[in-house]
Order: sequence, then structure tokens, then C-alpha cells
Amino acid sequence: MRPFDLHLPETLPEAVEWMTQLAPDGMAIAGGTDLLLKLRGGAISPKALVSLARLSELAELSFDAENGLRVGAGVTLSQLLRSPLIRQHYPVLCQAGSEMGSEQVRSIATVGGNLCNAAPSADLAPPLIALGSRAVIAGPSGERFLPLESFFEGPGKTALAPGELLKEVLIPPPCGRTIYLKHSSRTYMDIAVVGVAVQLAAANGGPQKVRIVLGAVAPTPIRALRAEAVLAEARLDAEGIEESARLAAQECAPIDDIRSSAWYRRRMVTVLVRRALSSMTDLASYPEAER
Amino acid sequence: MKRLIQLTVNGDNIEKLVDTRRSLLDLLRNDLGLMGAHRGCDTGDCGACTVHLNGRPVPSCLVLAATCDGADVITVEGIAHDGRLHPLQRALVEKGAIQCGFCTPGMLMSALALLQERPEPTEAEVRAALAGNLCRCTGYVKIVEAVLAAAGELR
Amino acid sequence: MSESGPRTIGQRVAKLDAPDKALGRAQYGHDVRLPGMLHGRILYSRFPHARLINLDVSRAKRLPGVRCVLTAAEPFLPRNGIRRAAPGGAAADNPPARFGFGKDNTPFKGDVVRSVRDEVAGVVAVDPDVAEEALGLIEVEYEPLPAVFTFDEAMAEGAPILHPERGSNLAKTYRYAHGDLALGESESEVVVAADYLLPYVAHGCMETSVVVAQFDGRGRLTLWSTTQIPFLLQRDLAEALGLDGSQIRILQTAIGGAFGRGLDIYPYEPIAALMARKAGAPVRLAFSRTEEFVAGPARQPVTVTVRAGARRDGRLTFRDVSAKLAIGAYISWGLVTPIVMMETTASLYEVPHVRFQADCAYSNTPITGAMRGYGNPQSTFFIETIMDRLAEAVGMDPVAFRLRNANRPNSVTPQGLVITSCGLKECLEAVGAAAEQFLPRNGIRRAAPGGAARQSSPPAPAAQPAPDARPTLRRGIGFAATLNVGGGARIYRSDGCGATVKIDDFGHVTLVTGSSEIGQGSETVLAQIVAETLGISVEAISVVNSDTDVKPWDVGVHASRTTFIAGNAARLAALDARAQIFETAAELLSADAGELIAVEGMVRVKDDHARAMRIEQVVRRRHLREGGQIVVGEGWYDPPTQLVDKETYKGNISAAYGFGAQMAEIELDVETGQVRVLRLACANDVGVAINPMAVEGQIEGGAQMGLGYALTEELIVEGGKVLNPDFLDYRMFTAADMPEIETILVETDDPNGPFGAKGVGEMGGTPTAAAVANAIFDAVGIRLTQLPMTPERVLAALDAKEAQESA
Repeated sequence: MRPFDLHLPETLPEAVEWMTQLAPDGMAIAGGTDLLLKLRGGAISPKALVSLARLSELAELSFDAENGLRVGAGVTLSQLLRSPLIRQHYPVLCQAGSEMGSEQVRSIATVGGNLCNAAPSADLAPPLIALGSRAVIAGPSGERFLPLESFFEGPGKTALAPGELLKEVLIPPPCGRTIYLKHSSRTYMDIAVVGVAVQLAAANGGPQKVRIVLGAVAPTPIRALRAEAVLAEARLDAEGIEESARLAAQECAPIDDIRSSAWYRRRMVTVLVRRALSSMTDLASYPEAER
Repeated sequence: MKRLIQLTVNGDNIEKLVDTRRSLLDLLRNDLGLMGAHRGCDTGDCGACTVHLNGRPVPSCLVLAATCDGADVITVEGIAHDGRLHPLQRALVEKGAIQCGFCTPGMLMSALALLQERPEPTEAEVRAALAGNLCRCTGYVKIVEAVLAAAGELR
Repeated sequence: MSESGPRTIGQRVAKLDAPDKALGRAQYGHDVRLPGMLHGRILYSRFPHARLINLDVSRAKRLPGVRCVLTAAEPFLPRNGIRRAAPGGAAADNPPARFGFGKDNTPFKGDVVRSVRDEVAGVVAVDPDVAEEALGLIEVEYEPLPAVFTFDEAMAEGAPILHPERGSNLAKTYRYAHGDLALGESESEVVVAADYLLPYVAHGCMETSVVVAQFDGRGRLTLWSTTQIPFLLQRDLAEALGLDGSQIRILQTAIGGAFGRGLDIYPYEPIAALMARKAGAPVRLAFSRTEEFVAGPARQPVTVTVRAGARRDGRLTFRDVSAKLAIGAYISWGLVTPIVMMETTASLYEVPHVRFQADCAYSNTPITGAMRGYGNPQSTFFIETIMDRLAEAVGMDPVAFRLRNANRPNSVTPQGLVITSCGLKECLEAVGAAAEQFLPRNGIRRAAPGGAARQSSPPAPAAQPAPDARPTLRRGIGFAATLNVGGGARIYRSDGCGATVKIDDFGHVTLVTGSSEIGQGSETVLAQIVAETLGISVEAISVVNSDTDVKPWDVGVHASRTTFIAGNAARLAALDARAQIFETAAELLSADAGELIAVEGMVRVKDDHARAMRIEQVVRRRHLREGGQIVVGEGWYDPPTQLVDKETYKGNISAAYGFGAQMAEIELDVETGQVRVLRLACANDVGVAINPMAVEGQIEGGAQMGLGYALTEELIVEGGKVLNPDFLDYRMFTAADMPEIETILVETDDPNGPFGAKGVGEMGGTPTAAAVANAIFDAVGIRLTQLPMTPERVLAALDAKEAQESA
């Protein structure tokens, strides 16, 4: 590992200033659970790290019924799982978070870190996108907002420009039901082979809103728009669900790697989308069940 | 680059000048001579290096020592009191939950964190709390038994 | 034998080293720190097969903090201790000493590299990071050569030959037969066949390999090592380094897992010694986890074709097995796994006609070594899944079919294995009972064709998932049994172990044993044996076992031999010590030695408890006088076994055999292919469980490995490279993945084992994969012959079955 400078700013503006000054040779570090692996493996060798650990502005975790939830980028997964606010209003985030890594890793890994690492399999991304979240980015010219699905540009690549930091994620007030299903080999500890998040909300009297987000089957987490479109018009019955699941599988672009094959991932997209939709419509998972 | 840090380790005040690349695990083992935390993988996947940092179990191989200024660290060397085994340690010994022992300190720290937060865990909760501590010797059976037994005793 | 007083045998005694390990105080190899200690790191080849054209270490040498750099040009230590540097530093005058099981390996490779873990150079520096950095400064020029990665590739016409002096890549062939195969085939009323593909697997020891080497002022080498074979390592190192064996001392630290990893001499060990010699300081060489996966030995992968037959009355007729093994670039213990595969093929169950063939080829892939079970996890998988097919073919319940052919006590197998105690029947019955809830009312589980075993009669309610559970779940149960050596395995001229027992003036007993503690609890079990023999408590005993200068010879920890062989040696030494005590006590108590018993720390006259003395009093009286003597007992035990015949492979390799059986209850999701093991019942015949808690621990730990072998563990090797060298993608079962495990100990009281005990260390994980595979068949009617049975492979097989059925 090359030597690097380490800066520990106390405020967000200070952090942004460091990042701007150091760009492109500086990197932000929060929990470090992904970053240190890349550093040690030689994949990256920044001249300096800017630790975000002391920034109280990133530790925000608050909710109000009108605006929804603010989750600071510095909130750890451990804090996320234990937050009564999140348990009550956004249980899908507890579900997603609880299957990530281990208790130890969750103690230091952060929401921001998971998102900014931008692995295609990042477990927080699909549920947050399904919830309709926005990213709040702090930079030298102030704050800007971005729908979360636009935050990811490629494996390991985000929309952050030099000098910018992810400050927090804004999640709209709870709407309908959201679920995240992760497919992996073991119960914990594994990277997702496939991740599927679905939000289903009945808008007042109108057609239902549905978001279907797929993780680990494309260079970034993606919305399965055609799969969503099928359901927006149709009744949410077994046929519609089946069609939606089928389309979602077509919309993704999975690869073969040491964790799984493309064909299997595609197949699991069908299965998980079907299961996610079925579980939320009170249909039994067994498609022939009569309702 | 080096940074000066001040932290408490098992109740002792420590001041050290550390290279920014140094992990907390290396600080504990090589600078402070506390060999209980073990290096199993250096990638946060095995749990052998688990210690408590500000009350939370963490993979010390993934924590930069330079970010630990002001921190409170507890290692396995800090959990026995007055030379007597902590009930968790005693339970592991008596239940046959220690074979090669390499995972043991990490298991203890994870189990302790669980019991501090949840004094009456279910078996599933114990297994989930220990999912980040790999063991190749015991099949975890007696470790889980020991943690549940110790929970009973500590209540 | 103590006639009254509490028994130590059968007690759940806590391990002697457990408190220190719980306190974090045990000293592992990674914890060894010596004054002036330096750190070594190894540079490995980048290609699976290449010529080394040029090696430039000049920049590495100049890096501040680097003490020295070593390559194959390093002159070796000749016997007379005088270093002779040949012109140009070339190895010509001092050819590198070859070592390893096949004597084909050298510490550094100078002209050709044959795998990506071939050692090309070494750096010694003040800390591991500097050493690592220096590795990056070494410039190596390679000329890649064509490489071979499988047996077939290695044996193909025109294939590159890895070791030209051997003429071909064929490293060894095994041919075994008993009975008459043609006769067996003609007597068969059913015949089944299958091809198997079994993977590379890693030991996954929580502590990576590590060694510390130091030469003292007299030129003696001390090695702190994670070896399992200290005396053989002493001998092999001597050969490799050109030293005399008397100049080498091996110290064994606490080991963070072994499982067969430490059974051979590997290059990093002599490399550490060379580093220490050149640097003139102690050198620590510790593997990173990546290195452990990439450069450590792996379990032998194998492709196998199996055919087997039976009669409709359920009796086995024949087995015909042919196996191909790619053993890696240099020979290690993987080459010998066919001996064990052969044993399982020939002797698990009574089979009158057997043919076993195995061919082993060099390949540009990871070295294969010994890993817990050592050929048995592989062979039990194919034998026990074939057994299941046979049971189905003859229409018999899988447990009943196995019982029909089970080995019996006091029998000799056609291979020549002398089976003394044998609890296979009891083990099968025990796991059959564990599955009772699946037994239909008439008591016989009949496997219907297609494997839907419970369709022959209404299943008990607990047999199926709850009505509101996901309808894509299916449940099934499967069985498998195992046979393993339980009293050592004679693969060297000696399979013996020595021990001494000293009793001091305070009644404290020191057992010095040649055997090694590798975390399995052998120290404690040996202490229990000594305690029982001397009538004292385990608290009064210390065990010394970690210094080759001190302890008597032992061949090593392997083949589940320690309880049996080291146990007998300890018992003999304790009996010898006791005889010395009785000699003096007889004098002091005016009795005959034959009237004395040792119990509760005392020596007593039988039937006259008033005439008694404490053991320490006897010891003091024995030596604190003119013409006195101390009490030191000595024991050596080499079991009554033979080296197998080099041509026929027949002979009795072990003094006792262990047996076991497992039942796996699984739940399979037909949409995803995911298999969850709900329950594993493990029954093991251990002779006598000297420490039931330790025995259970061995079985439970073995089961974790067996489950991984069955479902999740695979070292993915492509182009000779390990693609998943970390715990994220080499997936071992965590506490949250484990099923409920039930252990049932069957005690058959072996006539040769110490207090009737036999070895158990390897059997926890040998039948598991077959039990799970058979359970998968029971659930959904597919038979998998490739491990691990990942969700993807299961789903692919389900798809194939569906396609076949609709065709």
C-alpha cells in the first residue's frame, strides 16, 4: 500500500474543501469496509483519504410524515437496523440491511459507503430506488439533488463530480408496500447473486404505482420499466405478475462470473419478481391459487 | 503520513504515533502486544479480529488506527475480571466450544456484544450475531450452546 | 485399572488448553516474536507453465528496509557446512535438494515454473509491508509454455511434460482387484453406473500457514511451525537443506487448524530456513489469506466412473471404479489418496468382487495434499450415492439395503482389513431411527422408482413442509455410511508413538508424548488415559508435546490415529510408571505389588484401605534415600499392522476401523435450486468415547466441512489459477447456515484401543455429501454427481429432468 495522507475534517464544508483541493487524488472514506480492500489489493492508490467519520451533518436520521425520511450518508448499517423510525416506516431497509455482511461489518459500514462504492450488487440500492429516493450531493457549488437511480453510472462509478460528497438520501413518505428479496448462497455474508426490490402502491382510485428495481444483473441497479408498465394498466393478478416477471428477466443484462451464471441470474429475476409481487398482493406464491 | 492518536484500550490510556495505513488490528498486536485479536483474512470476512470499538463489535482489520483518536477499545484481554474468567469464557471452556481456539477471541467479542444488547437472545439471534465469525473446528454447535448458557447465567 | 473411585474415561472433561485460548493467551505461530526478527515474503510465478528467462532483483535489494533477496541461484548448504558458491551462482555444483513426498520439489524454481504458486524469489525485510513492496520491484521475464490443467490434457499426445526427467506426466497408477469382476457382473441382477466430478476444496484453517526460522550460535536450526509431522519435517528439512537431522529442532506452537494441511514439507518451510541463514537473523514467513488459498495444498479433485451391481435379494455383487487425478505440479499427498479411495471402494460394505483403478498425472494446477478424510470424502460420495441407486434399482429401503451388506465385527475384508470392533449396523439403525417420522406405517421405507419415496404410503404429517409454507419447497431424507481407519494407517515403516510419564515429588504428573495437539483435544484425551491408569485426576497432569528435542518420536497427526496410538503409548508409559510406584509401595505397605490398586491419588491395598499412601509420598520415599530411583515410565506403541503390499495393495493397514452413518433431512426450493439442510443426524462407532464432549466436537466440526463439500465449497481453478482466494467467495458454512445436528455415539469397545477407544477425527464429514445428495433424490428425484451441489447445478438438473419427462 502506498503511503497516503489522512484528513479528518470536522464539518461538511471542510470536507468538501479537502475533496476539491485534493481532486483527483483524494478519496472519501467512511467505514472503509470496501475502500480498504481496494487499497490493499492495489486497485486504487489515492494520495490522500478524507475521513467522513466526524461529520455530524452526515449522521442525520430523521422522519416527518410530510417529507419522509432523511438518512445521512454516515449512518451505519447497524444504526439503520436499530432505528425505530426505519423499523416502523421503512421496514424494507431493515430487511435489506440485515442480510448485508456481518454484525461486525455493519457496525462500521455506512449507507453512503454502500451507495458510493456503486457495486452492481449493492443491497441498499434497489430498495432505496424502489422507495423513490433522492440523493443529496454536497459540493463546492452547494447542494444538488438527483433521483437515486441516476446516481449510479457504472460498476464502481457514481455521478459524483470531483470535490463532491454524498450527503444524505431523502426518502418520500411511506407509500404502499416495498419488499427486497436477495438471492445468495449463504444466509449472511454473501454478495447478492440477484437482488430485487419492488414497491407497490395504490394511488387514490387510480392505477397502481409500481417500481421494480433489479440489482446485480446489470452494470448498475436498474428499473425494469417494461415490467412495471405491464402492471400499471393491468389488474394485479397471476397473469399480470407472470408477464411482469418475464419482462423483467428480459430487461436485465446479467453476466457470468465466479458467483453465478447469466442464465441462472436471469431465471432468478423471474422468480424473485414473481415472488415479490405475489407476496404483496396477498396471492399465494403458487400461481394457480384462486383468489 | 503519521498521526498521533489517543485512545483507551481495555481501560488503559494509550498514546501512539501511527502510520495512516496501520490497521487497528496491527496496532493492537504489534504496537501494544495484545495478541488475542487474530488475523484470519484481513478482508473483514472471518471475524477472527473482532474487538469492541466504542461499544460495537468491529472487524479491526478494516479499521484504520489513525481514525481511532478518542476511541474506546475492548479486546478479549479486557473481559476477564480480577483474573477470573468471564461467564462467557467459562461457558465456552466448559461446553467444549474451543478446539483450535483461533476463532475464540473473536467469537467472544461478538457474543459479548450480543448479550450486552440482548440479554435473552433466541438461538436464531445467537447464530445471526455470530454469522460473521467463521469456525472450521466446532461446527458452531457448542459455541451456540455456550452463549445461550452464559446468557442464562448472566441474567 | 482402577477398581473403584470415579472414572475419568467417559467424562466430559474440558480441554486443558481451553482456558488460555479463552483468555486469548495461547501462542500461535502468528504470535511468535523474537528479538531482531525479520519478515519474509515470497514472489510467485505469474504463469502456470513457463521458462524463467531472467530474474532481476537489484531494485528490490536496494529498497530501504530490505535485508536480503533470495532466488534459486542461492547456494545450498552442503553437508560439511562449507558454502561453495558455484560460478555465476548457478545451481550446477550444488543442485537444489529435492524434497516433498515425490522428491520433485525445490525451494525456489530456477529454470521452469510449473504452476502459478511456484516460488520464484524471496525477500527478507524489517517488516512485511516493505517485503511486499520489494516483491513488486523484482523483475521477472517469462517465456510462457503450453500448460495442462486436467488429467486428460496432461496425458494427451504432445502434451508438455512437466518433469522431463520422468519421461511422461503420468505420476502413478493404482490397480487393485479382489474377487472376479466378470463373475460379479454375471451374478448381478441390477447394474447402475455414474460419472462423478469432484472439486478442489480448501482446508480453510482459520490461521494461515506460518513458520519462524532461527539458527542459533551453534548453527542449529529451530523452526516454529504449524506442521503436523514434526519428526518427518525434521528429516525432510535436513535433506532439503543439506543439514544433518540432529541440527534441526521443530517447535510446535498452538495451531489454528490443520486438517491435513501440515502433512508434507512445502517450499515455504525450507525457504524460511534459507532466509534465516542468509539474513543472519530469525525470519518469520506468514501467509496472507490470499496466499493460503493460492499457495496452500488443496483437497484432491477427481473424475470417477463407477459401475456397481447387486442381486434382487439385496446383496452387492461387484464394484468397478476408475479414477483420474490431476495432482498438481509437484507430488504431495494427493497422489496417495487413491489408497483410501480404494479402501472405501473395496471395504465399505461387503462386496465380493471389486476392481479399482486410478491414474494420476502431473498438471499445472494447485498442489493436492491431504485434507481431512484424505480420499474418503470423495470415495464415500461416489460409493454411497451408487449404493442409493442400487437400493432404488432393487426396490429396497435405503437403510435396509445398507444393513443387508454391512460390515460385521471380527471379520477380514477381501482387501485384508482386519475389522475388530464394528458398529456399522448400530450406526445405520440409529440414523434410521432418527428419520423415523418418515417411516410409513408398515415400517419399511420403499424407494419407488423416480425417488418419490413417500408415495408408497401416507407420510407422517411432519414429513412435509407446513401447508402455508412456500409450495415450491420439497423435503427429503437421505442416508450414507462411512468406514475410516481408526487406529492409524501404516504408510511409513513405523506407525508408532512414544511417550514418557514422570511423577514428581508433589504428585504432579508430566506426560511427554510424541503426538501433537492440533486443536482436536488429543492432549486432554491422553491426560484422561494417564489419569485413569494412575488413579489421579486430570488436574494433576501436564502434557508436553511440542519440542522434537524433548518428545519421543511419533509419525504425526493424521489418519485419526492419535487417540488410538498415542493413547496406547501413554497408557503403556503410565503403566510403567505405576509399576515403579507399586514396586516401592509394596515395600512400604508390606504387600505384594499384585495386591495394590491406584485410585484417588493413593496407592492402596485391595480390600484393606487402611494400608494406603499418597502417590507423592511413594515417589519421595523411592528416591530420597541412598540407592533410590525416580519415577519415569516409558511407552512405545506401534500397532500390529502392515504396510500394504506394493503390488496388490492388500494388507491390514490399521489396527482398528471406525464406522459411522448420517441422515440428512433437506428442504429444496424447486424454483431456485436452493437446498437447505434442516437436520443432520450423525452416528459414529468410536469404540469408547474417552471424552464424549471432544468426540462430539470432532463430529460436529467434520459435519461443517461435509456440508460445505456438499453444497457450497469449491476452489474455482481455471487456467491453473484460483479465482476465489478469499472467504467471501470460498463459502464455508457460518453459524447461521448450520442445520440442527444430532450426534449419536455408538460404543463397541475395541479390543486394541486404549480403554476401547478408536479414532473419529475424519468421519464427521465423510458421509455428509452423499447423505445430502441422496436426500435431494428423495425430495425431487434427481441425482447429482458433481460437487458442490450449488443451486445452479440443482436447478439445471431439475430442468433437465423436466425436459426429459416431457419428451
